[in-house]
Amino acid sequence: MPSDTVTTLADKTARATPLALARRVRALSDQAIAWLFITPTIVLLLAINIFPLLWTIYLSFTSYRANQPGRPIRWIGTRNYERLLGSEDIWGYMQVTASFVVWTMVIQVLIGLGLALLINRNFKGAGFWTTVILIPMMLSPAVVGTFWTYLYHPQIGIFSYIVNVFAAVGPLDMIGSVDLAMWSIIIVDTWMWTPYIMLLCLAGLRSIPPYLYEAAEIDRAGPLQQFWHITLPRVMPFLMLAVLFRGIENFKMFDMVVELTSGGPGSTTELASINLKREAFEKWRTGYSSAFAVILFVTVFGLANIYVKALNRVKQT
Amino acid sequence: MAEVDLAGVSKRFGDITAVADVSVRIGDAEFVVLLGPTGAGKTTTLRLVAGLEQPDAGSITIAGTDVTRLPPAARDVALVFQQYSLYPHYTVYENLAFPLKAPGRRLSKPEIDRRVRHIAEMLRIEAKLGNRATQLSGGEMQRVSIGRALVREPTIYLMDEPLSSLDAKLREDLRTELKRIQRDLGATILYVTHDQLEAMTMADRIGVLAAGRLVQTGPPRTVYEAPASIYAAQRLGSPQINLLPAGSLATDRPEPPGTATLGIRPEDVRLTGPMGGAGQERPDLPGRVLTVEHLGVETVVLVETAAGPVRALADAHGPVAEDQPVRVAARPGSVLFFAADGRRLAATPASAPAALEEMSDVA
Repeated sequence: MPSDTVTTLADKTARATPLALARRVRALSDQAIAWLFITPTIVLLLAINIFPLLWTIYLSFTSYRANQPGRPIRWIGTRNYERLLGSEDIWGYMQVTASFVVWTMVIQVLIGLGLALLINRNFKGAGFWTTVILIPMMLSPAVVGTFWTYLYHPQIGIFSYIVNVFAAVGPLDMIGSVDLAMWSIIIVDTWMWTPYIMLLCLAGLRSIPPYLYEAAEIDRAGPLQQFWHITLPRVMPFLMLAVLFRGIENFKMFDMVVELTSGGPGSTTELASINLKREAFEKWRTGYSSAFAVILFVTVFGLANIYVKALNRVKQT
Repeated sequence: MAEVDLAGVSKRFGDITAVADVSVRIGDAEFVVLLGPTGAGKTTTLRLVAGLEQPDAGSITIAGTDVTRLPPAARDVALVFQQYSLYPHYTVYENLAFPLKAPGRRLSKPEIDRRVRHIAEMLRIEAKLGNRATQLSGGEMQRVSIGRALVREPTIYLMDEPLSSLDAKLREDLRTELKRIQRDLGATILYVTHDQLEAMTMADRIGVLAAGRLVQTGPPRTVYEAPASIYAAQRLGSPQINLLPAGSLATDRPEPPGTATLGIRPEDVRLTGPMGGAGQERPDLPGRVLTVEHLGVETVVLVETAAGPVRALADAHGPVAEDQPVRVAARPGSVLFFAADGRRLAATPASAPAALEEMSDVA
């Protein structure tokens, strides 16, 4: 066989493989080769996902402090959990987190779906405006948090200025006010992540065949009916998926809010993840914060599971 | 039900003329089939009547009202799409009831229920009423689509190749059913298809479309027996009409002046054995059998002649075999004469069945 015809990558690889190795590999069964391929991934997953999770669960039953590595790890049973679940502060942080997640999701779904419906009308320049709307999503959350502190500045910030154009309320301290701080982070998260919801809704809208609307039009369905009977049911799985992703992200929201309010004023914007970081890496109560992390994990995991079940039911129809 | 009138309707999409100056009247309770190949403007014509497209010229009248500029909802037409345009997230019942719940209809719940069940029974899908649209087979889905049009009792039913995505058996069943339902309801139907069998079996009148133009309208039998042109002749009949150059076959009637092509339907071709022509006053076209297709009901024989291939319907129990030399002749009075531009020429009346010739209804 003339060797100059050998050009494919497979051939090259075969030729480059030492003969001894090639013989050994050829002797393996298909199943052995399959294991050979997935083993690196499994090892990696065990090392960086499964082991830390199990180790965290173990630490949550101890009084371990990571800043005192020499001290023996002492088993204290469920004491961390008892303290956590009995603490009113923790419930407060959970409430702050819940209201942040719920409000951001409700507002972003409404605006995101609305924008998607607008963009889907395919007006002139729709592509350009889609890109413009997507820009915030491409920024780093920490950067967003930092520059919004300037936008929110009561004296020099443009936010306060614009609000005063419409209503003369005087210098508006969004971040510093107990009543407004929560809204300051909701607004920034909405500004940043509504495009994401819009993008997924748009994918859903684009998947609706136009003849469904034509059939509805001939059946004398009005625009509202068309939205209710065709658009919404067809977009729903996409919308729910977007909310699932964004909901989990916001449940563990950290970087943007740390830059913006650092959980203040008081603990009005102290999200669970922010408090967790304080306990773990400022107070170094590793065992206690591990227990908190486990509780958060179980909460998110449980909620997400219930949600995915609902999502599957919607998708089936 | 009502009369629908298209007068000089044209529609262009950019440089493409989809429908050119089409005028046709669909009478009350009439079943009109528009027949033509892909791209002949069938679907566009239908969408123009439905109001999903606006014509560039001409007018559309439904029940005496000019609806040319009215939206679909104001026309009260029903349209069955080629794809099953069901609402996938609803049950069969909800799909059928949907058109009845449109604003401004004000039907009572029991009345909606009565109509839905009646139609479901008629289309034999009553057992599937609780199923979701996506759980149905293709045939069931299309029956629901047709049912959604039927519950409405609109001015006219528009159907865009509703049977084309079904298998042969189901298509045959639904064809018969559709014709029966149309007769029972006295429905006016404008039906679009490329399938000559559907056109022949269901239509009261066929309209043959070629590149957006209506080239002939008439009852199926008329269009079949007296086509306006080669194009119209080729649209109906399977196997297709045989086309031979003028003079290649002896005919009992003299060829009219200007004849360029002879058309002979396969069922009018007479095959005789090599010696069979002996004693005849005119020489038959000699040929050789290429293939014999036994289709059960009929046997199609393909004969190679000096003038080109000829298809003939033969006796299933006949002695025709492949490679056998045969002579080709036409049944007296059956040959159609076409001019060089494709137009059909009337045969010299002397021996022609006159009534047939006069019926040609050229649009």
